Amino acid sequence: MSVESVLIIGGGLSGFTAAKELRARGFAGTLSIIDPEGLPYDRPPLSKDYLAGSQDAAGIALVPEDWYAENNVTLITGTATALDPDAGTVTLDDGSVLAADRLVLATGGRARRLSIPGGDLPGVLELRTKQDADTLRSLLGPGVHLAIVGAGLIGAETASSARGFGAEVTLIDPVQIPLVPAIGEVLATRLHAMHAEHQVRTLTGIPEEITQDAEGYRLRLSTGETVAADVVLVGIGITAATELAEAAGLDTDNGVLVDQRGATSHPRVFAVGDSARTRLADGTLLRRAEHWEHAMNAGSTAAAAILDQELPVHGASWFWSDRHGVHVEGVGAMHGEGEHVVRMLDGVPIAAFRLDSEGLMLGAAAIDGGLTVRAARRIIDRNIKVDVLALADPATPLKKLAR
Amino acid sequence: MSEAINIGTINDIDEGEARVITAEENGTDADIAVFHAEDGNFYALDDTCTHETASLADGWIEGTEVECPVHSAKFCLKSGSVLCMPATLAARTHKIEVSGEDLLLYPSVSVLGA
Repeated sequence: MSVESVLIIGGGLSGFTAAKELRARGFAGTLSIIDPEGLPYDRPPLSKDYLAGSQDAAGIALVPEDWYAENNVTLITGTATALDPDAGTVTLDDGSVLAADRLVLATGGRARRLSIPGGDLPGVLELRTKQDADTLRSLLGPGVHLAIVGAGLIGAETASSARGFGAEVTLIDPVQIPLVPAIGEVLATRLHAMHAEHQVRTLTGIPEEITQDAEGYRLRLSTGETVAADVVLVGIGITAATELAEAAGLDTDNGVLVDQRGATSHPRVFAVGDSARTRLADGTLLRRAEHWEHAMNAGSTAAAAILDQELPVHGASWFWSDRHGVHVEGVGAMHGEGEHVVRMLDGVPIAAFRLDSEGLMLGAAAIDGGLTVRAARRIIDRNIKVDVLALADPATPLKKLAR
Repeated sequence: MSEAINIGTINDIDEGEARVITAEENGTDADIAVFHAEDGNFYALDDTCTHETASLADGWIEGTEVECPVHSAKFCLKSGSVLCMPATLAARTHKIEVSGEDLLLYPSVSVLGA
C-alpha cells in the first residue's frame, strides 16, 4: 500500500525531523504535526540562552513559521487523547478525529517528579517546556535562593544560567560527582569543581521532604541538612510518555518499543525520540536514548522507513552541555571497561578517551574541544586505531589522527 | 559589485583548513571564513554559524562541507545551504577567485549570483 498521508503526534525535534525528512525524501502526501504547544521549538536553549533571555521564542523555533506552508506541513495545535492503529485514527482533545496511512508517535517525555512529601507542592518547578522556562525566569533575580534537585545536564546548566541573574544557587545531587558515566571521572570532576568557582553551592544528598511556609521552601536532605529556598527546580530526568501507545495496545516497556526502523508492534504506527525504545530482532531492549541528536536521527530513520527507503546510518551517540562559559561534548560511551586516556593542558584536563583492549576508541569527551570531539567521532565510527601517547599529547591535533 | 581583496596565496591555507578574514579586513559587517575544501577549491562563508555564536573556520571541514564545532550544524561550502540542524538558515556565501597563486575574495558577492 502506498503511503499517502502521515500524521505525527508531537512537534519536538524528533517529530519535526520526521516531517522535514519525509518532505526532503520526496513524500508528497498529506503531512500534519499535532502538538499542544503549536510551533515546534528546540529544547536545549530552555536551560541556557532562552532561560537567560538572550534568545526569544522566535529564536528557538526549529524553523521559521513560513517553512510549514512552504513545505505543505499542517500544524495542528491540540493534544492527542487516543489512537486506533487498525483504523489509523487519532482523537484530539477537542473531540475531532484525524486519519492517516501512517502514524508517528513523538510524544517525548515528562519531567520526573520527586516522589517525596512536598515533591508535588505548587511552585516546585520543572524545566521541560518553553512555559516552564518562562516561569522559572520570572522568578529569578539578584539574591533569590534557587535550590536545584539534580545536578545532571539540566540542573547544572540552569545553575549556571541562574547565576547570570545573580541568584544564590544550591545544587543538590545524590552523587558526589555527577556525569562520570557520560564523560569520565577526570572531566566530570573538573566540571563539577566549576560550580564552586562560580559560587554555586553543591550538596551531596537526597531530598526527603519539602515544606513550604511564609518564608519559602525548605528541603530536608538525607544528610540531615536543610536547604532554604525561594524557588525549587527539580531536574531528575524524564519518564517516557507512553500512555497513548499503551492504551492503543502497542508494546511498551519504559518506552514505546520499536524495531531499528522505528516501527512499533503495529505496522501502521512508528515511534521516535525520547518516548521510543529500540527492541532488537533477538528481543534485546536497548537503553532509551534522550539526547538531542538521537531524537533528530530517529525522526530521520522513521521517515526513510515509512517511505520504504534505505535507512540512514548514524554513528556513535553525541551530546553537549553548556555551563559556566564552557562547552562540553561527549561521543560514544565513556562508561564501562577499558583504558581511559586523559589529555591535559597546563595541568587541566581538557579531553578524555576510552579505548578497548585492542586500542579502538569507544568514547571521548572534551571541554571546549569541538574539533577533538569531531575527530574522535570519526575515529570511533571508522574504527581507526590511534596511538595512546598521541591521544594524551595536547600538541597533537586529533584531526591528524582521524585522517 | 564590491572590489576584490587579495587575501594571500593558495599556499597560505592548507587543504582541510580555513582562515578568518575579519570584518575590519573585509570591509563588510561580518567576519568571513575562507575554506580550502578537500575538493581542492576555495570557498568563503560568513564565519559565524547561523545557529548560535561559533566560528565555522574552527569547524570540521570534510569534502565540501563544514561542520560547526559547537552544535554540529553542517553547511555546504559551495552554496552555504544547511545540510544538518540545528542551523536552519543558510550561511551567506562570498565569491573567491584564484588568480595565479593569489586568492581574491569578493566580500558580499554571492556565489549564487543573487
